[in-house]
Amino acid sequence: MEFKDYYSALGIDRTASDDEVRKAYRKLARKYHPDVSKEPDAEKRMRDINEANDVLRDKEKRAAYDALADRVARGGSPEGDFQPPPGWDAGFEFHRGPRQGPADHADFSEFFSSLFGEAERRGAARQNYRARGEDHHAAIEIALEDALNGAEREITLRAQTVDAHGHPQWENRTLSVKIPPGVHPGQFIRLAGQGMPGHGGEAAGDLYLEVRIAPHKLYRVEERDIYMTLPVTPTEAALGAQVHVPTPGGGVVEVTVPRHARSGMKLRLKGRGLKGKTPGDLYLLIEIALPPADSDATRKAYEQLAQAASSFNPRQHLGV
Amino acid sequence: MATVSVTTATAVSASQPLALNELAHAVGADTAWVVQLVEVGIVQVTAAEAPPEHWQFSSTDLQCALEARRLERDFGVGLDAAALILDLQHEVRRLKAVLQVHGLR
Repeated sequence: MEFKDYYSALGIDRTASDDEVRKAYRKLARKYHPDVSKEPDAEKRMRDINEANDVLRDKEKRAAYDALADRVARGGSPEGDFQPPPGWDAGFEFHRGPRQGPADHADFSEFFSSLFGEAERRGAARQNYRARGEDHHAAIEIALEDALNGAEREITLRAQTVDAHGHPQWENRTLSVKIPPGVHPGQFIRLAGQGMPGHGGEAAGDLYLEVRIAPHKLYRVEERDIYMTLPVTPTEAALGAQVHVPTPGGGVVEVTVPRHARSGMKLRLKGRGLKGKTPGDLYLLIEIALPPADSDATRKAYEQLAQAASSFNPRQHLGV
Repeated sequence: MATVSVTTATAVSASQPLALNELAHAVGADTAWVVQLVEVGIVQVTAAEAPPEHWQFSSTDLQCALEARRLERDFGVGLDAAALILDLQHEVRRLKAVLQVHGLR
């Protein structure tokens, strides 16, 4: 396990005041926010700064972390092979109540959870604190076909458990999740009892998995609607045609391309999107694909078309 | 590594919504905080005049409540400002999705 330098993650000195920690965090959180960041590793950087902020903004955790960093600097752990010394947090107490926001710790590093995850729990146990375990949040990326038809997928998460002696420990847990058919992006799948263990004998929390749809080579998803580009020939677009189209749920349907179809025109197949109370639609975006003029016959056909439509000027609106 | 089979996976949806206390627990808040979200319109309840214990919340509400909680905790924003930030955030995501649909992203 690697020792994490939380100060360098936030780009601050160890002497930074609480206010400087807050300002550094907010600046970086804006920079790496997934909705605005153009950085390729934005999601990972956001996790790192969230973790650093969780420790450094909390007086108790920061003091314990500083003391540990001093011990590491004096004793020296081999690079990349850090283990917290036994009793490293003696004299420090961490609190985590049920009103402190979402338990984001599942996203944090092994370094964080081995130090603070267990220590928070021991702190709670010392105070005879009784409450249902916190709910955990994670994301699950599934194929579009699995969203439509349902599937069974395995995910691996770091989860906290309590051993036979009541000691908390973290373990990598593989969950086999039955995804109900008809889920859509942004929807949450709830796994009862798979969150944090309860405190003082209370029930465990739940695990919420946010559904994400993996990029698909044919289809794109927007809310419950599914979009697909449908290439047609100029002849099919001009004269209209019946063409075969694969549907995301499996199978092929025959679709009428209307006469005078244009590039960018949308054809709607009602109710063939993602399921739900109001099912989504499947939209076909017409794209005109030109046959290559790579033989005498096709070149001649293009020339004949040009002659037959000699009055057609696609640049008329440009005034030329 | 132990594989745990899960038999109780449910999708949070109109037929299996979250109750007020469940939404509050999921975001690490108390129910009074969720009532404030309803008041500023960050989450929507279909029957706001019904007693709060009968309110029902969707996946979208859980998403919005989580984001509002993080904005409040990490940036110290008030809930009115959080409501505006979330509206803008969702509009950006919608527009990005439209760009993607048309192959422009």
